[in-house]
Amino acid sequence: MNAELNDTLAVARVLKPYSFSLPFWDATREKKLLIQYCRASGRYQHPVRPTSIYTGRRSDLEWREVSGRGTLYSWTIADRGPPAFRGHEPYAVASVMLEEGALFIANLVHCSRDALLEGMKLVPSWHPLGDGRHLPMFQPA
Amino acid sequence: MSLKDTAIIAHAELKVMERSDRDVWQLGAEVLEQLLDRSGLEKREIDGLAMATSSTGAGNMFWPQATADMLGLELDYCDEVMMGGCSPVACVARAAAAINAGLCTTVLILYADTGVAEPNAHDRSYRREWTEPYGLMGPPGGFGLLTRSYEQRYGLDYALLGKLAVTQRNHALLNDMACEKLRKPITVADYLGSRMIAEPIRLLDCVMRADGAAGLILTSRKRAKEKGIARYVVPTGYAERVNYRAGEAFADPLESGHVVAGPRALKQAGIAIGDIASFHPYDDFLIAMVLQMEALGFCRPGEGMAYVRDTNFAYDGDLPLNTGGGQISAGQAACSSENLVEAVEQLMGEAGARQVRDTRNALVTGIGWINYGRNWGASAALVLEPGA
Repeated sequence: MNAELNDTLAVARVLKPYSFSLPFWDATREKKLLIQYCRASGRYQHPVRPTSIYTGRRSDLEWREVSGRGTLYSWTIADRGPPAFRGHEPYAVASVMLEEGALFIANLVHCSRDALLEGMKLVPSWHPLGDGRHLPMFQPA
Repeated sequence: MSLKDTAIIAHAELKVMERSDRDVWQLGAEVLEQLLDRSGLEKREIDGLAMATSSTGAGNMFWPQATADMLGLELDYCDEVMMGGCSPVACVARAAAAINAGLCTTVLILYADTGVAEPNAHDRSYRREWTEPYGLMGPPGGFGLLTRSYEQRYGLDYALLGKLAVTQRNHALLNDMACEKLRKPITVADYLGSRMIAEPIRLLDCVMRADGAAGLILTSRKRAKEKGIARYVVPTGYAERVNYRAGEAFADPLESGHVVAGPRALKQAGIAIGDIASFHPYDDFLIAMVLQMEALGFCRPGEGMAYVRDTNFAYDGDLPLNTGGGQISAGQAACSSENLVEAVEQLMGEAGARQVRDTRNALVTGIGWINYGRNWGASAALVLEPGA
């Protein structure tokens, strides 16, 4: 198997955010990672939802900027991606456990296949989308 | 009136096709005719229709009633159950509830889909925003992540997953209704050598989508007896759990709602997991069956590999498993109802060359959808027993 993984940086990404996640994407212009925080329960949640998954009350939610530091929870290597990713395989999609306790799924870049290790420390890697926004990815710390 | 007061009095299925050469409603009509022949009912005696999620029907807000119109059915109950792979068993539970609530007396449960020939479904979920931009491929991607988690935590012997693949393939060889393309023998080496899709998911871990149709007739036991129907199958326990741990930031991807739905269904049926005579789990990926064995209590979490190693899952073995080939070796068709219809056929004693010896009961499960970084979103379990 190929030890080198494609960072897929040449793949054109199409973002189709829902209205309630626009603040997340706006913050990526400044390479800030915002995660939803429920004031009532004192817990974070991701992916972005229209309400608190803890209390069911939208009014309990606020956005908090987090460091983006986390650890590798799990990963899969795509050997045949969807059409936009065709020809860019193999590439890694990882689930990352953020320090705040929420799981974030993203491409893992600048990492060889042999280096992949559960629990390895990761930091964000911001991929420019061409419109000022960035797609958050992760790379080894 | 309870679930146990209803009876499946007839079942029908069409041969699974790589791509249907007939319209989905023609398939539905073929199933209906088989069901009328086998049950001895007249069409006018059917006063309910329950249909499962279908890719062809998706997007049509009037799918069940448009289908009923095509089939000339005048109904007192008309429903569509949209729970993905849980829909087949969930249809049985809802049809039984409708009968018990007095809405209707006799329900046609129809599983017809031509998702290969005419796919109309589209996803609207977290995926478009949170996984598609990263190229995570739907179900294989999700199962890739959870399979890696299993491997990291417990270790995974891929040859034992291969054993499950071979067992089911052997069953498909004995099932004339299985998709012909898949009715070729395979070995563990074939499984291990099949190409990677979403590592560690291989091609032979996955279902192949196919076209087909199947159906059941559910009525009250009282009515079944009045009609003089000698052989039928009774749903004796059912439970479902949707979005297990939905209100928590993190859920173990190796844990599903089957830890809740399984015990509830068994309790309602009044039996223990060790009493299960044949097991017909939803199989979109081989690992899903191992996780269900653990969640339902055939073995403890993390002991699935040892359990698979020590158990003969052949139709004439210790715990017959998906004796029609499962979806993985029969083709994922007919709204994923094949394992359910196979279980009914086994309990009716009509499974021919692959007939199981012990027909005291059968456990059928469903899986629907995959949550973000978690396990599957819907888990269902249905216990069936032969009636008398």
